[in-house]
Amino acid sequence: MIRYLSLYREFLIQRFKILMEYRVNFIIGSTSTIFVQAAGLLTIWVVMRQIPSLNGWSFDEVLMIYGLVTLAKSINHMFADNLWTIGWYYVRSGGFDRFLVRPIDPLFHLLADRFCHDGIGNFLVGAALVVKSSVSLGLVWTPLKVLYLVSAVLSGGAIFMALNLITATSAFWLMESIPVTQVIFNTHEFAKYPLSIYHKGISLILTWLIPYGFASFYPASYLLGRDVGAMAWLGPVVAAMLLAISYRVWLVGLRHYSGTGS
Amino acid sequence: MAAIEVENLSKVFRISKKDPGLGGAVKALFGPRYEDKAAVNGISFAVNAGEMVGYIGVNGAGKSTTIKMLTGILLPTSGQARVLGRDPHRQRVANAREVGVVFGQRSQLWWDLALIESLDLVGKIYEVEPARYRQLLHQFSEMLELGELLRVPIRNMSLGQKMRAELAATLIHEPKVVYLDEPTIGLDLIVKERIREFIKQQNRERQTTVILTTHDLGDIEELCRRVIIIDAGKLIYDGPISTIKERFGKYREITFETGGRSGAVDLPPGAEPVGADSAARKLTLRFDRTVTTASRVAASVMDQIEVLDFSLAEPDLSSIIKQIYSGALREQIAEEMPA
Repeated sequence: MIRYLSLYREFLIQRFKILMEYRVNFIIGSTSTIFVQAAGLLTIWVVMRQIPSLNGWSFDEVLMIYGLVTLAKSINHMFADNLWTIGWYYVRSGGFDRFLVRPIDPLFHLLADRFCHDGIGNFLVGAALVVKSSVSLGLVWTPLKVLYLVSAVLSGGAIFMALNLITATSAFWLMESIPVTQVIFNTHEFAKYPLSIYHKGISLILTWLIPYGFASFYPASYLLGRDVGAMAWLGPVVAAMLLAISYRVWLVGLRHYSGTGS
Repeated sequence: MAAIEVENLSKVFRISKKDPGLGGAVKALFGPRYEDKAAVNGISFAVNAGEMVGYIGVNGAGKSTTIKMLTGILLPTSGQARVLGRDPHRQRVANAREVGVVFGQRSQLWWDLALIESLDLVGKIYEVEPARYRQLLHQFSEMLELGELLRVPIRNMSLGQKMRAELAATLIHEPKVVYLDEPTIGLDLIVKERIREFIKQQNRERQTTVILTTHDLGDIEELCRRVIIIDAGKLIYDGPISTIKERFGKYREITFETGGRSGAVDLPPGAEPVGADSAARKLTLRFDRTVTTASRVAASVMDQIEVLDFSLAEPDLSSIIKQIYSGALREQIAEEMPA
């Protein structure tokens, strides 16, 4: 574990050397997501100007949900972006073999191979939204709540990674996993709003099947003092279970790869 | 001691079959049909520690598939491979520590990183002891002339520079077994020479076991005393290179560019036609140099028809393999090969 952490540090240092070399690209990449996010926020703002309360949720409360899911997504974006490109960049070209001839875990190697700086912009936007929301609503941050926030963001990030890992594994069969990943990933758009505004079916799916709800709605509810019962505390459990499942799925994919090659 | 032992090793791929055209594609979507293809078919051999063996065959013969099984990337369909006493797939990580691979067609280095940084990272991945790492880096820089290249990103390197960089990265953890899959493909003679020299030296100093896949007979001649030839997944020859050269190098091909028709020529003794192309006005003959000589064949042809030019070629590796497999020489091989 310590070995992998220090190895990750080495990968990260080298990655930043590359990023510094392409300075303009680095600045554009890490800030461009801010503009994308701005467009999404503008939409909410326009809608909420017309209807000041969304099924009982104010604009600032929706921002908390939006902020949490954006933070969770940015963790995935920074540390696990290579899951998107595994198909065309690694499996199809045979480059994946490189990971298998080295004495480290191939999944670690894949993730460590490219830290994605584009996620930094997402992280900043998410953090800004959480701050804005809590200032406007006058939330009091006790140490427990700060701890809760950190754990919620990490669990949310893990949920994003686990779902992407499951869909990325399809690359071992299909060579290209982006369409499959896209379909599942895009459902997180629903999780930018209170799950209570949706039909029961959608909220069930986002809770138990594609549990992005635990990366946004449930922890946000707790932080805003809204009662969601045990759901407020299930996030880390769901994340851990999903990670375990996704890793099993990944291993099945690896086994298939060693049977067929690229 | 055997560093590599391969016993009855096979790899069967399932390939989906499609009829041509859009109709075929739609049909395959609803009723996919599969066909089994044995890329490697019941191969057995053993390589001793410190030995350098050429592993050759035409494209698609199964060379890369074999190497992928020996590195643990692919799981054999049947039979078994042992490298340094281990199962390379089941003990993939332990195997990876002591094995190095160069896939000539693709890089294992980071495209955007300067070579020295790539090497540092590789050294960390393999946990090379820092003092040892510096020592090897110094040694490799000298032998492969990496000096100025260390600061250059891989993406800015020429093919030859890239291959030297690859070799350094592959050997920096001092692997006991090295697989080189076409390490000299597309390189100029000087770089080829340097790379061969480097491999030879590694083998001499560290008793590195080397399996070399190549289409360049020169690589084999320089480095290996033994070759294994496979074709269509089957092992068809395993023995000293000298035998191959005596047996199959005895044929030469001579091509005449003729002024007029080239059809009706009485063949000189010991020669046989390989191809005559009257339109291109070319006549190619093959002769056994233990029976006749090039000058006798040429003189005999020139007596009969007008010859503008002629050229003499030694059969290259793939044509030797073709000859071996075409059956013309199969009986001889069967006799020579220990049962």
